[in-house]
Amino acid sequence: MTDAAQRPTVLVHRAPAAPAAVLREVCAGAEEEGVPTDVVDVPGGPADAVGLAHAAARGSQLEVGVGVDAAGTVAVHHGKLPAHRPATTTGPDAGPQDWRRTGRTAARIVKGLPLG
Amino acid sequence: MGAPHRDPSSARLVVGVDIGNSTTEACLADLAPDGSVAYLGAGLTRTTGVKGTPDNTAGALRVIRDVLAQAGRRPDEVHTVLLNEATPVISGLAMETITETIITESTMIGHNPTTPGGQGLAVGTTVSIADLAGQSPGDPVVCVVPVEWDFDDVARVVNAAVARGVAVVAAVLAGDDAVLVTNRLDRPVPVVDEVRAVEKVPLGMLAAVEVAAPGRTIRTLSDSYGLASVFGLNPEQTRAVSPVARALTGNRSAVVVRTPSGDVTDRRIPVGELVLRGAGKELRIDVDAGAEAIMATIARLQPLDDVHGEPGTHVGGMLAQVRDTMADVLHDADGSAQPPAEIAIRDVLAVDTFVPAEVRGGLAGEVALENAVALAAMVRTSRSRMQLVADQVSTQLGAWAEIGGVEGEMAVGGALTTPGVDRPVAVLDLGGGSTDAALLTRDGVCTAVHVAGAGELVTKLIDSELALGDREVAEGVKWHPLAKVESFFHLRHEDGTVQFFDQPFPPHVFARVVVLTPDGPVPVETRHGLDHVRRVRRAAKSRVFVVNAVRALRQVAPGADLRALDFVVLLGGSALDFEIPELIADELAPYGIVCGTGNVLGTQGPRTAVATGLVRAHAAASSCPAG
Repeated sequence: MTDAAQRPTVLVHRAPAAPAAVLREVCAGAEEEGVPTDVVDVPGGPADAVGLAHAAARGSQLEVGVGVDAAGTVAVHHGKLPAHRPATTTGPDAGPQDWRRTGRTAARIVKGLPLG
Repeated sequence: MGAPHRDPSSARLVVGVDIGNSTTEACLADLAPDGSVAYLGAGLTRTTGVKGTPDNTAGALRVIRDVLAQAGRRPDEVHTVLLNEATPVISGLAMETITETIITESTMIGHNPTTPGGQGLAVGTTVSIADLAGQSPGDPVVCVVPVEWDFDDVARVVNAAVARGVAVVAAVLAGDDAVLVTNRLDRPVPVVDEVRAVEKVPLGMLAAVEVAAPGRTIRTLSDSYGLASVFGLNPEQTRAVSPVARALTGNRSAVVVRTPSGDVTDRRIPVGELVLRGAGKELRIDVDAGAEAIMATIARLQPLDDVHGEPGTHVGGMLAQVRDTMADVLHDADGSAQPPAEIAIRDVLAVDTFVPAEVRGGLAGEVALENAVALAAMVRTSRSRMQLVADQVSTQLGAWAEIGGVEGEMAVGGALTTPGVDRPVAVLDLGGGSTDAALLTRDGVCTAVHVAGAGELVTKLIDSELALGDREVAEGVKWHPLAKVESFFHLRHEDGTVQFFDQPFPPHVFARVVVLTPDGPVPVETRHGLDHVRRVRRAAKSRVFVVNAVRALRQVAPGADLRALDFVVLLGGSALDFEIPELIADELAPYGIVCGTGNVLGTQGPRTAVATGLVRAHAAASSCPAG
């Protein structure tokens, strides 16, 4: 375990090929809500965003995780939700606004605010 | 009618049927020759068609067959079907705002973005971020940022300007980036974001930006003298900006721009006068005077003959709209056209309310609470076609069917079967369109009244005061208790208790105020907290049903004295509400009145009172030779 995993943050698990632009917006969405994030590289792990997000949520002190897969799909998960039922995911035509929204959603789960 | 004649010495099977606006209810009983009644069952179904029209036959037959089947009896055993004479009133609603807030020349931005940046108060001249690079050091600057700017670029440009000596003291952003920008500034400043129409912010003008600490509200820009201090205003100018200060009260962030002629006006819309006729008099009352004054005037004109609105004014339009609606309903009800002008409004309930309305000229979707008046109006109609329904039921069922009695009197009779009730008894039928009261004295004299305003008006008030814009959601708020979803697995009820669920809530209800419907929690789309929604709901019920309960009971009480009443029984759909009965009981308790929800036959709750009353009345009439 790294130090990053010990402090209370939303963990962002990314596949090695995850696009940097997506990651930037995800983290910005959480930062605007005032919730810190830590990005963790997950080489050779589960490839899909939901699986990444669930593992991240399980590892997060705040029980909230985000997964970004190689295709740029984003999923947000809570550690107590069933593995196949993420809080939200992005669709196939997602853009910067949608990526920003997933970061905001992750932060709002932590803060107990409507996900909107 | 060709009903089979039966041996009068044996028991006769009768069905009382009450066709209401929303439900059709039935009560089945055996009448013995000595007049004693054996109740066999009761039931209800949805009313088919508009009350009092031949379309009602289908629903009436369905509920009759249902209660027969439940009791194991056959349709050909039925001796008599008794139908109600419908309450001869139809009601309508209208609402009109009487104040309006207008911002001219974009002088003010007062809204609550969820995440403003930085904190404090700053005053400077508005400059577009595109012009910041050319800005020479000197006077303080408020930076205005259009929507297309990225937060990293904003921070870089502002930092560069500050490094050159330009005093950037605050920023106003179009996007939701305030925290992101503030975190990247070398010297953090207050930042207000989510100002959608930021391009309308006048440039080169003196502006003040205030952001309060989390959990606090702004103190300077929401205070008239605070504004005067910031902008150096004289007493006359201070008077002019006081609406600005009031409009900003309660916000966590705000921007005020001082323009030469900009203004915020809080004007009253001339609504017009109500012209009321009754008791041989005619009185006029300005709707602006508010609900209390209107109701006091109506009380002086009892019984009311008609109400008109001053032509060409808002209230004229409101009442015309109510008349048109009623003309349509009457047309549907009896197939004959009655010109709207001939419809006399026999009662009005006025309620003060407020409507959250988007401010005209606002830049960030600011919302102001505008005052409004809601009117419920009621007309009498004498053209019920219940006899036609009775004829059709008779033909199709093969039993004698007749109009058994007037609703109000029958309701009292049914209410008397509630355990613990005795004469003199008053019933309050809390319906959808009207609130009806009937009193049965110790001597058996019955009087009934109908007053305008009931469940529909409650729904309308909830809908507009919470800005839901959805009647179904408003109905949900009215009918079901509230809760706040606090995690994916638990929620807190409005009474403070917490309930755990073993299945996670769907994300769309997470952290939301919800109504607990039988189908699960349904979110209420509002930024208000649970307490606010609850207050609005209870106030709406109180302003309609508590006010009308007192109004209607005064009209039937001997000498208009509520102390002369002993027992009050609540009936009708809204008597099933989880809090209306207690709101009314609380109001009536000081008068020494026993008030509670009806429990017809000791089993049926506030339902089937009229149907049961029809059976009782029939039994009493047939056992007494005098009729």
